Amino acid sequence: MISRVAESCFWLNRYVERVEVLSRMLGVNFAFQLDIELAATERWRPLVIVAGQEEDFLKRVEAPQADDGERVQEYLTWNEENPSSVYSSLRAARENARTIRETISLEMWETLNDLWVWLRSKDAHKLYERNRTTFYSRLRDQCLLFHGIAQATMLHEAPFEFMRLGTALERAGQTARVLDVRHHAVGPVDAAEEPPEAIAQWLTILRFCSGVEPFLKRRTAAPSGAAVAEFLLFDPAFARSVLHNLDRVGNFLELVSTGGTADTGRASRTLLAETRGQLASMSIETVLAEGLHETLTWIVETTAELSRAIHRDFFDPIVVRGSSQTQTQTQTQTQAQSSSQGQGQSSA
Amino acid sequence: MAVTRDAQPLFERYQTLAGTWDEYFREDGTPRSQARRIVAELERIGVKEFRARQKLADATFLRGGITFSVYSDRRGAERIFPFDLIPRVIDPARWDRVERGLIQRIRALNAFLADVYADQRIISEGVIPADLVLGAKGYLPEMQGIRPPGGVHVHIAGIDLIQGPDGEFIVLEDNARTPSGVSYVLENRTVMKKVFPRVFAQSHIRGVEEYPLRLVEALASVGPAPDAEEGTAVLTPGPFNSAYFEHSFLARRMGVPLVEGRDLYVEDDRVYARTTLGPRRIDVLYRRIDDPFLDPETFRKDSVLGVPGIVRAYAKGNVALANAIGNGVADDKGIYPFVPDMIRFYLSEEPILGQVRTYVCAREEDRKYVVDHLDELVVKAVNEAGGYGMLIGPQATRRERADFRGRIEADPRNYIAQPRIELSTCPTWTSKGIAPRRVDLRPYVLTGTKGTWVLPGGLTRVALVEGSYVVNSSQGGGSKDTWVLRSGSMQGDAE
Repeated sequence: MISRVAESCFWLNRYVERVEVLSRMLGVNFAFQLDIELAATERWRPLVIVAGQEEDFLKRVEAPQADDGERVQEYLTWNEENPSSVYSSLRAARENARTIRETISLEMWETLNDLWVWLRSKDAHKLYERNRTTFYSRLRDQCLLFHGIAQATMLHEAPFEFMRLGTALERAGQTARVLDVRHHAVGPVDAAEEPPEAIAQWLTILRFCSGVEPFLKRRTAAPSGAAVAEFLLFDPAFARSVLHNLDRVGNFLELVSTGGTADTGRASRTLLAETRGQLASMSIETVLAEGLHETLTWIVETTAELSRAIHRDFFDPIVVRGSSQTQTQTQTQTQAQSSSQGQGQSSA
Repeated sequence: MAVTRDAQPLFERYQTLAGTWDEYFREDGTPRSQARRIVAELERIGVKEFRARQKLADATFLRGGITFSVYSDRRGAERIFPFDLIPRVIDPARWDRVERGLIQRIRALNAFLADVYADQRIISEGVIPADLVLGAKGYLPEMQGIRPPGGVHVHIAGIDLIQGPDGEFIVLEDNARTPSGVSYVLENRTVMKKVFPRVFAQSHIRGVEEYPLRLVEALASVGPAPDAEEGTAVLTPGPFNSAYFEHSFLARRMGVPLVEGRDLYVEDDRVYARTTLGPRRIDVLYRRIDDPFLDPETFRKDSVLGVPGIVRAYAKGNVALANAIGNGVADDKGIYPFVPDMIRFYLSEEPILGQVRTYVCAREEDRKYVVDHLDELVVKAVNEAGGYGMLIGPQATRRERADFRGRIEADPRNYIAQPRIELSTCPTWTSKGIAPRRVDLRPYVLTGTKGTWVLPGGLTRVALVEGSYVVNSSQGGGSKDTWVLRSGSMQGDAE
């Protein structure tokens, strides 16, 4: 398929994933911060940090308001200048979709465009004021609907595979970021000595990843830091665990390379295999010994590097044969992207 | 679809304009036979329900993202092309003549282009003055001696038609380069079916859905390899182009890739696309990039939209471009007055469709007449489109006319003039209820090596502003669905 189109497929799903994850986090935080005893700084600020926007956020609000839940939600939901806000991510997803309408199905386009038209409507703002939980659920559900529609209406070939590659890579990075929330709230995780309210916070982190029930199917004990981290990093079957998504990235890289030469996608596949191997060789004990935050930072940085390798391998291939002018100006959104990626990294 | 009992009738106060053909009503106020069914149905619906359905239609366009971008808006605003729910209805006999006339005209325009870029018999035999042809902006000397694959120049044509006071369709303008708007024809129809399912079930309307398939067929027929559908693509300037929706729509409905210039490159005079699995040959392009921007090696050096070297590949016959390069000479407003002569010259036939009497200011005698009669005439700059560079004499101020007189004297080659035609009207929804508004029609004509096909109907554009004659979307125009009725669907309704 056309490289530029593949790139849009890849980023379309990454942005949809961002909308979904951020909406779920905001909705969960809204619902669950009510019954936990937390210091003001631990309630909302971590979400801004996870989004990679702390610096920008602090520039925009007066210090006393920096931990005000309303301000944080407003900023993460609606702010058009915050590249990580729900609004900006949905706009980017929709713009990618608009660019490749001939590639995605009509139903996918309508779902996404509908959500965009709605988010910009008075109705959406009213719902945000009156019933925030339903507001965030709607965003999250429409993203899930989008995946279902894609699965049911697209040809299961290269464009779809690049979309799913985007989802898997985004999930691996997002889960690592989310798992770091407690680090941003209370500092380094000490698995041996956790205060009683930690359980509630680990539960919240599982909810951020829609992982409570899957977690309970693995363990019946109360969620501890070590248990939750182990689950989110290593579980082979949980839809949002890092290892599972690296496996999926590997599968999709194989699929999109099929039909090419032995060199097609070589750099990405090699980097993925190394990363996956390294993660699989760890255990939760070694991770905690090294420091959870350090491991998570490594994962976030590596997924960004993988993204760049995929870009070089598939989206901006250098045509080697013969004449000169074939290396042209592919400068779509990757620039905006790598900057928002960069911001993501600085938080980790 | 409940209809309120006290439905207020829609057409009660409808008044046709004097001296103007109305598509629905005769001067005595009775509906024409082809409009009877739809008038009855609209009356049944009533004002309130009509309003509700107009809202539904607008929402459907917005939801579908059936929009055009507005260049002036930095935030990338998209607007819907205003759509009027009351359809234009054309009876089968009238359409039959239009169809034959269009096919004839396209054959002549195609023969003209083939001749201009080869032997130029039409000039040497004195049918059209050489300076009008060779001095036209759209004439590209670089194309001299190049025969496009299959000998087809005008794969896709949009011929603008109007109906004068007698109701006969005549040609107002030719477009043999990249006529746009066909996506609205198809989308308008889809929306109408959704909004008026009952009317559709009863009305025996000829379908328009096959257009993309006909188009891909015509494109494949001119490919260097026979039926090489896999190497066909639509070439767009990109998502910021105002017609991007249409480019994407056509690619989607033909099932071919949509590419931008930067997705393509030329090597060994062949065109390749950059794909995730390496280079892939492309041999047919439906290009929606204008000639000057197509190839910085041949035309504008500053174009970043085009593909360097693509003209070389084209000249070698390694890629077919639709439409061919250099077609601008055929739809030049200065050439238009000679199309009837062209038809006689190349086809030895009499033109089936009439056209508007045109004064060519390059001719001394015509120029004098135009300058003396500016208050009666519509003056058009030859190289402008979209309703720009135009003077509507009867509506213009004294100063505007003086200004145009100066421009004509300074550059006569660049101006033509025509009497103002009382464009036909069609009932149209306005803030004051249903009122007559002027319309034109752009049918679409496809040509491959296997023949020519006319889309039944086309894009009806309507001047939504009261008293306006300008139907262009950039200047307050909207569109309507266009119904060509099936023959035999109006038995006993002879008019």
